[in-house]
Amino acid sequence: MSKSLSLNEKPYGSPTPKHFTIVLILCLLALGLCVLASLAFGSRIIGFKELMDVLFNTSADSYDSDVIKQRMTRTVFSLLCGGALGIAGALMQAVTRNPIADPSILGVNTGASLFVVGGIAFFNIGTANEFILMACIGAAITAVFVLGVGSLGRGGPTPIKLVLAGAATSAALSSLVSAIMIPRSNVLDQVRRWQVGSVGGSSWSDIATFSPFLLIAILIAFLTAPALNALALGDETATGLGVRTGVLRLIASFAAVVLCGTITALAGPIGFVGLLATHLIRLMIGPDQRYLIPMSALAGAIVLTVSDVIGRILGRPGELEVAVVTAFVGAPILILLAMKSKVRTL
Amino acid sequence: MKPKHQFQAEHVVSGYEHRRVVHGVSLSIPSNRISVIIGANACGKSTLLKTMARLLKPESGRITLDGKSTDQYPPKQLARIVGLLPQSPIVPEGISVADLIGRGRFPHQTWLGGWTKKDYEAVAEAMEIMKITELANHNIDELSGGQRQRVWIAMALAQQTDILFLDEPTTFLDITYQVEILDLLTDLNRKHGTTIVMVLHDINLSARYADYIFALREGTLIAEGEPSKVISSDLIKDVFGLECTVISDPVSGSPLIVPIGRHHVNV
Repeated sequence: MSKSLSLNEKPYGSPTPKHFTIVLILCLLALGLCVLASLAFGSRIIGFKELMDVLFNTSADSYDSDVIKQRMTRTVFSLLCGGALGIAGALMQAVTRNPIADPSILGVNTGASLFVVGGIAFFNIGTANEFILMACIGAAITAVFVLGVGSLGRGGPTPIKLVLAGAATSAALSSLVSAIMIPRSNVLDQVRRWQVGSVGGSSWSDIATFSPFLLIAILIAFLTAPALNALALGDETATGLGVRTGVLRLIASFAAVVLCGTITALAGPIGFVGLLATHLIRLMIGPDQRYLIPMSALAGAIVLTVSDVIGRILGRPGELEVAVVTAFVGAPILILLAMKSKVRTL
Repeated sequence: MKPKHQFQAEHVVSGYEHRRVVHGVSLSIPSNRISVIIGANACGKSTLLKTMARLLKPESGRITLDGKSTDQYPPKQLARIVGLLPQSPIVPEGISVADLIGRGRFPHQTWLGGWTKKDYEAVAEAMEIMKITELANHNIDELSGGQRQRVWIAMALAQQTDILFLDEPTTFLDITYQVEILDLLTDLNRKHGTTIVMVLHDINLSARYADYIFALREGTLIAEGEPSKVISSDLIKDVFGLECTVISDPVSGSPLIVPIGRHHVNV
């Protein structure tokens, strides 16, 4: 065997996962393709030549260039949202040590929506910042509640218990959202599209508003990655390694909640992106959080943008909201993962 | 050789929410030796170990390292001196042996510093001591129970602490692996001077491998000392409620207990 040979070639315990460079290059290529597709496809399809023309010849002034400008906003917005959801998923999975944690599965997105809808109906909120604040509060309360309920009983927060607690909470909160919305036609109009989760109605000012929130949360995610690696070995091992597990969980959950809350406030509840992104990456480069978190951001951006493009193609001449697409792709994956984790943990 | 440390428990009372398990234990861990805590099921030996390894906060009393209470040390600094291998650590899915062992380096690393030469060396050395170098790139899922346990101990070794706590490191292992693990831990102690404190179930292996024994009954320390001086049929009756004869282990000369029971007694 060549096993003993590699001892001299590469130090063991190397911090860089196998195939990392290849995976990174593939992801970046995929991301580039996504961006091009997102600019080209829609109710009006723009050819590659025209696309290049508009992109590299800014003076070109045509109907195509207007369309592309509008799609540019949408593309940047969906890349940021997808990236944020990818990181939020990775953080939630690390904090709960649960492979099927995801903002939508734990009901956090629904909690955020409830607070936004409630804010519109009862407090007349309207600005993006107010939306974000309400959504973050809703996300935080729901996260605490679901984690609390899911941890009751023997064995702490097992994957199955968390998913059940999340699903039940999400269902209850969704019906509350409907109860608030349906009798109020003004609210209904304002949130009808938002409530499904879409990246279509975005503007540069939206992007400017939520970027600082994203930046802070992403910074926290990167800073906590090494400690989250220790937490993956269990609370006792992590404590033995010098991690304050309670503080770590609080900080990482805070970042996850801010990410989900911000995205939900501006795009509406979008599910399964975090789940898909993290599992795709984990399959390719393994469980090291220092690589998993940034790569999940990349994968999340790809997943959401591809879903958005698919939604635009399938829904022509209108469009299918991106959350509908992610749900259709994500739900079967969730079932697969749940079946697998049942074998492992029950 | 690892430096000498004074590690003490002072009147420690500890337990869980509704159940107090350790009732005022004071002890001093012999530095650079192997200590084993013995006792019947639910006597509080694991709880005592967890409290000493700061997994549990003592209700009263304190744990001190070199005269200073352990909760006054920054956690990472303490983790460079005192290490712990819990009873059932969690294996992240799809992790390789080397990656898992590398995680033991956490207390030595800073966020910006990343991996240094020292980290690589510590991981390589830990694998060498545990004789698992050839498994480095394997997935943990592929390993046997005995190999897994060696990987976990290697993770704790990569932490390069002077004191190492192990909570039942041989449970669920075949007798062959139990002896193998205890031999490896003894190597570690003899070669590097690492202070080892562990909970073991098997009295006879404890008597053979321990330099020093702490015997616990219902949360109190009732005897301590070298196995040859402490282990007697009276003590075993006291600790486990078991009638037995103590003879000299023909292999090691340490005390060997032979349980009596109700059947099959010829003498």
